[in-house]
Amino acid sequence: MKPVVLDNNRIFRRVGVILALFLLTISIGVPLLLIFWQSVYPDGQWDWMAPIRTITGHHLSGVLLNSVWLGICVVAVTTLLALPLAWMMAKTRMGQHRWVDVILMIPFMTPPYIGSMGWILFMQKGGYLQQWVSSAEKWSELFFSFWGMVLIMSLHLFPFLYLLLRDALIRIGGNLEEAGSVHGAPAGYRFRRIILPLLLSSYGMGIMLVFVKTIAEFGTPATFGRRIGYYVMTSEIHKYISSWPIDFGKATSLASVLLSVCLVMWYMQSAMSRKFTYRLVGGKGQRSKRYSLRGGAGWLCGIYLAVLLILSVGIPYFSIIAASTMKLRGAGLSLDNVTLDHFRDLLSWGSVSMKAIGNSLGLSLAASTVAVVIGTGFALAIGKSSSFMQRVIDLFSLLPNTVPGIVMVVGLILFWNSPWMPVTLYNTYGMVVLTYVVLFLPYTVQYVKSSFTQIDGTLFQAGQVFGGKPLYILRRILVPLIIPGMLAGWMMTFTIATRELVGSLLILPPSMQTSATYIFAQFEQGQVSLGMAMAVVTVGMTVLMLLGIELLNSKRKWNAS
Amino acid sequence: MLGMKTRKKSAMLLLTAVMSISLFGCSTNSTAGNAGQSAGEGSTAAAAQPTETAGGKLVLYSAGPQKLADNIVSGFTAKTGIEVEMFQGTTGKILARMEAEKSNPVADVVILASLPSAQALKADGLTLPYPEAANADKLNKDWSDTEGNYFSSSASALGIVYNTKLVSTPPTSWAELATPAWKDAVNIPDPTLSGSALDFITGYLSVNGDQGWDLLDSYKANGVAMAGANQEALDPVITGAKSIVAAGVDYMAYSSKDKGEPLDIVYPEEGTVISPRPAAILKSSQNVENAKAFIDYLLSDEAQKLVADAYLIPGREDIEASNRANLKDIPQLKVDWNWMSEHGDETAARFSEIFK
Repeated sequence: MKPVVLDNNRIFRRVGVILALFLLTISIGVPLLLIFWQSVYPDGQWDWMAPIRTITGHHLSGVLLNSVWLGICVVAVTTLLALPLAWMMAKTRMGQHRWVDVILMIPFMTPPYIGSMGWILFMQKGGYLQQWVSSAEKWSELFFSFWGMVLIMSLHLFPFLYLLLRDALIRIGGNLEEAGSVHGAPAGYRFRRIILPLLLSSYGMGIMLVFVKTIAEFGTPATFGRRIGYYVMTSEIHKYISSWPIDFGKATSLASVLLSVCLVMWYMQSAMSRKFTYRLVGGKGQRSKRYSLRGGAGWLCGIYLAVLLILSVGIPYFSIIAASTMKLRGAGLSLDNVTLDHFRDLLSWGSVSMKAIGNSLGLSLAASTVAVVIGTGFALAIGKSSSFMQRVIDLFSLLPNTVPGIVMVVGLILFWNSPWMPVTLYNTYGMVVLTYVVLFLPYTVQYVKSSFTQIDGTLFQAGQVFGGKPLYILRRILVPLIIPGMLAGWMMTFTIATRELVGSLLILPPSMQTSATYIFAQFEQGQVSLGMAMAVVTVGMTVLMLLGIELLNSKRKWNAS
Repeated sequence: MLGMKTRKKSAMLLLTAVMSISLFGCSTNSTAGNAGQSAGEGSTAAAAQPTETAGGKLVLYSAGPQKLADNIVSGFTAKTGIEVEMFQGTTGKILARMEAEKSNPVADVVILASLPSAQALKADGLTLPYPEAANADKLNKDWSDTEGNYFSSSASALGIVYNTKLVSTPPTSWAELATPAWKDAVNIPDPTLSGSALDFITGYLSVNGDQGWDLLDSYKANGVAMAGANQEALDPVITGAKSIVAAGVDYMAYSSKDKGEPLDIVYPEEGTVISPRPAAILKSSQNVENAKAFIDYLLSDEAQKLVADAYLIPGREDIEASNRANLKDIPQLKVDWNWMSEHGDETAARFSEIFK
């Protein structure tokens, strides 16, 4: 009997791999190929030198170095911000405060250019800080520097790394540390020889994504970077794509350089992760020790959390809310300049803005649900990246995260709007959903993969020994163990999809708006207050929804650690 | 072995089914993309034989103030019964979208905020001439195409926009912005993002030749900052972080001032550039009759009144705005649009190189 079961499994897996490859080819591979086709086939003539000429003829090295240096610095600062917090939330009593997780998602839900605008309005000459504290005039403008930009981007991205690290720390559990302690290892040694190696795989994946997100990010360089004269690859790419003369060829040549940098990162990470992945979730139950944090240590942790919350949520949202409630932006902070008119305009029934909110919610729900279904399939097909094909899927499913969103979207348009397609999806609702799914697939895949790779194979063997059929094992062992990953992926996709801008700008059918494009349009039109009000409303709604899920979730068994 | 093969096959079938459900299932309102599909076999053929007359729809890509575009669209729909689907964005975004849709164009009419862009569309053979447009003869000749490829139904003048709380005696000439009084206090829109800023720079150079660069170099030396598109350059002036926008579009300044923001605008005495906003029918249009009706409406008294209400200069010479400086009150540089059109790219590149 046993060989048959194994065979079934193998076939099951192989079909999965083929399915995944096919889906990835048509949703990501072909669109990107079309982009590269454009870069070597400019003006209807084959010219394979074109991308090389663009790269050499363009003062690229400086801009590329800027991008990489920014990525490295942001990785360093996000680590500084996220690691202590992850430890606190995993290993101390502070972990009981689950609301902190939801609050910390706020920076990540905030569109990066809105967050940057918040900081700019706060720190600039005559900004909110100077209106408040006049002595700040001497130093607040020093914020407009490279390190200010690193701080803004790190505050935007650190929750992402934090969630990965915290989950990894929880999975490590207490018994391994206890074992170390029984054998006489002091705390520092335990951290260095037990926790750190076990954390490396998740950390590697986390910083790779942070690095890639940083160098592919467009919002902050466009708002803050332009202001301090710090130019990166994405600003150059965007220039070729959004201003006359439009040159997809040049843009794609630059994008391919960016892509190569990301691929190198991916290779390093996957090599590291293969070396340092351990089976942590085994058959035995786990206990985790939680430190109670009394006295000075408790204060220290509390202050750390408070400062982090003020920097990542407090300051930007003070500015955003202040700007959204101002009668006249030129009149500054004062009580008689406060109005709720913008919110009333925004939320009046049947208005353009309400339709935009409805569109955003509907699209995000559809996209995140589809992404979770497909992404989980991919993650399972990738498995432990043992075969070459699986690694190919891994790489492909990560591509949308490494290619700047705008390039991916242009590829999708070229593909789904080409005359030879039997069905043109372009300019429909379905196209928007597809775009969101493609753009955010990496999240589900990474989250599910990260929970899947740490499940010990003995659990499945145990299931088989007791006569469980593959489907039963899937239902009773695999799915419950990966559900937290799926849920995290779903939530992540939903929250980012509600604020997705770059793709939406290009891909929404005419006459259709989402909350993000609405905000952007208001900024373009000079209705900054209305745009900020929309940001408050959408982020507020998403937070409430996540709090609801968190509440439901905390009652479930699999999360009790 | 055989079993495995059939399994694979059925898996593929299943996959295709799942794909079609998940991807196409949601596309309930897919008419926009598919409607023109059958008719669009060859774009030239479609242009020769208009497929629709009264009623039906029109796809409009429009740059510029959204309220104006909304008003024009609702006025047009009320008058003709034609439904308009509109994409609103900056000139750059519209051109990018058109480029992405090149193999399967969607738009019927585009309204841009930059004359050279429209000239480029014409040069590329993308526009459909409509010389018999109603009221076209009343348009400002300098801003529109004599063969009817594009019509500038509105325009904005570029001026020195300043914060009245911070500036009591505004500068009266472009050169004054390079004096120490305005050190680090001036923004200028990025000409790669703002068509009007590019119009100003190329316009100034077309009059002053290579010496024109001296002014821009002295700007840089005085700490003039290049800051995004028009609104992005204006925002810091509203909030008081900067004092002045050089080459700011005037209609934004007028409308903010009307709301009560501490803003005002002057036009330098040596003259400025006026940036026309051309509208064009695309050759690939599948609703040519509707597109022509739209151009007629744009040039009608009714629409020109809406233009004036939005603080823009009406494209027709016989209509005046009451809420702003009119064409005759604004000192103009004698610019050369052909030179500007030809040298736009290199000027923008050189400018960004200096100001980066």
